Amino acid sequence: MFNYVLDRLKSSIVVLFVVSIITFFVLMIIPGNPAQLILGADATPEAIQELHAAMGLDRPLYQQYFSWLLDLLKLDMGKSYVYGESVTVLIAKSIPVTFSISIFAMIMAAFIAFLFGMISAIKKDSIADYFSRSIMQLGAAIPSFWIGMVFIVYFGVRLKIFPVSGFVPLEENFFRFIKSITLPSLVLAIGEVGTLLRIIRSSMLDSLKQDYMDMARVKGLSSFKIYIKYALRGALTAPLTIIGMQFAKLAGGTVVVETIFALPGLGRLVLTAVEHRDIVLLQGLVMFVTSTVIIITLIVDISVMFFNPRVKSFQQGEL
Amino acid sequence: MRINISLILGIILVLIIIAVWVLSFVYLPYPPNEMNIPNKFLKPGIESEHILGTDNFGRDILSRIIYGSRNVLLVAISSVTLGALLGIFLGALAAMERFADTIIMRIMDGLMAFPGILLAMMLVTVMERGIKGSIAAISIFMVPVFSRLVYSMILETEALLYIKAAKSYGSSRRQIFIRHYIPAMLPRLITQFTSAIGSAVMIETSLSFLGLGIQPPYASWGLMLSESRQFFLGYPYLAVAPGIAIIITVLGFNLIGDGLNDILINRGNSDE
Amino acid sequence: MKKIIAILLIAMLISACTAQENTPEKADVKTELTMGYTTEPEGLDPHRTAAASTFTVTNNIFDTLVGVTPQWEIVPRLAKEWVISDDGMEITFSLRDDVYFHNGRQMTAKDVEYSFNRLKDAESPRARDYENIVKIEVLNDYEIKFITAALDVELLKSFVYPWAAVVPEEEVANLKTEPVGTGAFTLEEWVPQQHLILKRNENYYGDEIKLETVKMVLIPDATGMMAGFQVGDLDIIPLTGDQVTMIEGNENYKIISEPMNAVQIMSLNTKNEYLSNEKVRQAMAMAINKDEVIEASMFGYGAKIGSHLPPTSPDYYDTNNIIEYNPEKAKELLKEAGYENGFEIDMSLPKNYQLHVDAGQVIADQLGRIGIKVNIQLVEWGTWLSEVYGAKNFDTTVVGHTGRLDSYAFLSRYKSDSNDYISLTTGEVDVLLEEALKELDENKRKEIYKDIQVILANKLPAIYLQTPHTMLALQKNVEGMKIFPIDFYDYKDVYLTE
Repeated sequence: MFNYVLDRLKSSIVVLFVVSIITFFVLMIIPGNPAQLILGADATPEAIQELHAAMGLDRPLYQQYFSWLLDLLKLDMGKSYVYGESVTVLIAKSIPVTFSISIFAMIMAAFIAFLFGMISAIKKDSIADYFSRSIMQLGAAIPSFWIGMVFIVYFGVRLKIFPVSGFVPLEENFFRFIKSITLPSLVLAIGEVGTLLRIIRSSMLDSLKQDYMDMARVKGLSSFKIYIKYALRGALTAPLTIIGMQFAKLAGGTVVVETIFALPGLGRLVLTAVEHRDIVLLQGLVMFVTSTVIIITLIVDISVMFFNPRVKSFQQGEL
Repeated sequence: MRINISLILGIILVLIIIAVWVLSFVYLPYPPNEMNIPNKFLKPGIESEHILGTDNFGRDILSRIIYGSRNVLLVAISSVTLGALLGIFLGALAAMERFADTIIMRIMDGLMAFPGILLAMMLVTVMERGIKGSIAAISIFMVPVFSRLVYSMILETEALLYIKAAKSYGSSRRQIFIRHYIPAMLPRLITQFTSAIGSAVMIETSLSFLGLGIQPPYASWGLMLSESRQFFLGYPYLAVAPGIAIIITVLGFNLIGDGLNDILINRGNSDE
Repeated sequence: MKKIIAILLIAMLISACTAQENTPEKADVKTELTMGYTTEPEGLDPHRTAAASTFTVTNNIFDTLVGVTPQWEIVPRLAKEWVISDDGMEITFSLRDDVYFHNGRQMTAKDVEYSFNRLKDAESPRARDYENIVKIEVLNDYEIKFITAALDVELLKSFVYPWAAVVPEEEVANLKTEPVGTGAFTLEEWVPQQHLILKRNENYYGDEIKLETVKMVLIPDATGMMAGFQVGDLDIIPLTGDQVTMIEGNENYKIISEPMNAVQIMSLNTKNEYLSNEKVRQAMAMAINKDEVIEASMFGYGAKIGSHLPPTSPDYYDTNNIIEYNPEKAKELLKEAGYENGFEIDMSLPKNYQLHVDAGQVIADQLGRIGIKVNIQLVEWGTWLSEVYGAKNFDTTVVGHTGRLDSYAFLSRYKSDSNDYISLTTGEVDVLLEEALKELDENKRKEIYKDIQVILANKLPAIYLQTPHTMLALQKNVEGMKIFPIDFYDYKDVYLTE
């Protein structure tokens, strides 16, 4: 067990390295000269040259890579071209937004998926089953910004229940915070529910067939107890893994929702960085997001192992 | 019964899309890119000359939807095919050659750590944008998925008895691979393939939304949806047709993938 | 457990939906203005950026020596008065003695000297525009003289632009994120990607400012912007042509609209084998229906132009009749030029400017009808700047040129040796441009510019499309908002009624 943890740690670090190399070198190939961009259209070629050198862009690539890497370890990701602010600070300011909607979305998705997933599994093949599954499938097929815009127009403009855009920080006002993240999280959740539901349903089905289920029934426990206390526990493994993975994916995939709802999160920051060729910002962002994904996956894998040692072989063999 | 419904529904939907695709070669009410500015923003109507209305440049929406099926299917199918081929190759290599194993799988892990959109954004920014860029970006995104699938399937199968038997007969590795592995892997690969196409369509839509996908003035559903964004409050009908087209396609392929998946799992899993 | 969480969540959701909004009492007149904008400023240091999105904000935080009215008149700002020498090569400003920086220190001529030197240094994007100023003399605490190398009759105008701002030396290290100026507002808060808050400067030297705060909210999405406006969250928003119908006729809203001080042109790379042929360029111009371009890109809110000056310019001369719209004749011209079967060229469009992207698409369609196949490539602004503008790596592009007060600044790129991304390499306007710079008589200058415009309309180093309108939608209680010939917003005189 300890070996497993060590193993995973080692491979995570290797993966992080690979990611850093990919990030750095891919972004260096982007056409467009950052110095030119900062100085704008009317600058003289000499001025551009000077700034280029001053920014350290003249050094050989591998040198730039290593100095970047070293700085990274000190948690210094450089200064953004566009904002002039330290990248670390910018990321720190955007984290609460993205994480809020991601977490809220996962909670909503998990809630809905568990509810319908359990119903589907228990009442397998009934109308309820088909209904849940088809609705969920639909959710995954709808482009998020479509739904987002519909929500804005309907709930925001017409019904005026939710704000049409903008983010209210948690510290400022709890209710308004929740209101500002409800619609975007809902949009995200709709996309995620389908996958989650499928997994929960099949996990539940598996677990329902287990021996201890028969034991429980024989003992004469009420259906409710059986389902909740026993079936559910056994069924938790796979869904938890998936939730972890989905959350990790979400953390980086919120661009679209953030753009529509004007939320100042990580996704929008990435878009801004890409559009302005703010290489420093982009490198920092990509490293941060992928590291988060890797770390979360690591934590999820290890904690799942804690819950259920039987899963060990499952983890090492499958996706 | 349950599986059949998913599968059947999925196949029906996909057939609809394929029919539209065929139609694009046979009949288009109007040239899809022809602008007619004085006729812009015509509302849809059964009586009207433009059944689905016109967009902000006066182009006929129905024709663009029909024509758009070409681009969408082209991008989705070719990127998944490319990604699958490369992924299968790499996965097999990693599983069968010791030296390649760690390197390849670590790189795959690295690639998988990038959230899809992020990776696509990075890649599209580097490469030329447009159809080529999208296909390239999406196929790279698909590679790790297929390679890991193949990798674990091969490892599983290797342990099976009949393979060991074949090896002891002295059949060449190539023979073993072709005659035994591939048939064993095919079902799951096909399932993955169909689901992947659904994902690819979604990703292309998002890429177009961010301005990184198929470029104007070409008709692509993702692009049409993205272009309808600015006019959403004033002319919401612009978003309906491409949205529905995308939903049908993604849903169709996902349902097929789902249905196939169920069949597979149930074959080994006496669930019924 | 699950049930408990579920119940909690539902409870939260319900209470969130019904919670009362803390609406401020509308007893007194509101003194906070909320305005929507679409592009983030690139730092707030006026000497270190070329982005218009920056100046719309910094214009309120910093001051320049002189300002401009919507009627193009030059008015005093930090300078009370000015004197230009007879030979036009020196200008002396008398500064106000009641100006204080936001950090409390009083502004003197030394600060002006420092600021202009900084404006001219290597890291400043606008350095080249001020190369002509070769000496700055501080005469006393409140008098400063600028001396130029060559005669520039429009010298005064270079002091109006928002990048010619006066900054305090001790604060420059962090100017980008913590701007300190002399302007009507201070920067209270900047949350990147979200909003900017400006606060009234209580020590401002000018007239009373009625607004206490101005909150500028970043909303990149047009739908979100309009939605915010319609629910009353935003007091002012930039308006696009198609949104006009949603606003006009509604008595709760106002629209202000002015032609921009800008030109949208289709620039041509005359080094391209096809475009080097004048007949080809003329054929292309004849095939373009500018009315349709304006209709599609600005929904009609634009004015056709035939040359490189906007109708708002005092030196404007109407050249629209020089090239007529005639696709048939265009095809013939092409044939004469030897391209009966047309040819293929590329068009780079800056993707963040919808206006140019739309116009470009329409043009591509129109050129297609006379046999010229145009391959559109949308590029990021950064790429456009380095590839098209910097490396001159393009065939055609559609872009806007904006915000100059003097015609020379608009037209100087057409000098054959300007090394700009477009120019009139055959040199017909060189001599004229030289003359214009030196001509002190305003009327004679107008004549010279008229000739230049006619030449450009005929020779077509670029095809001139339109001058678009700036449009803003305001809630009915917003007063005092004006549109200026330079790309910025000015909140000094804005106030809210009722």
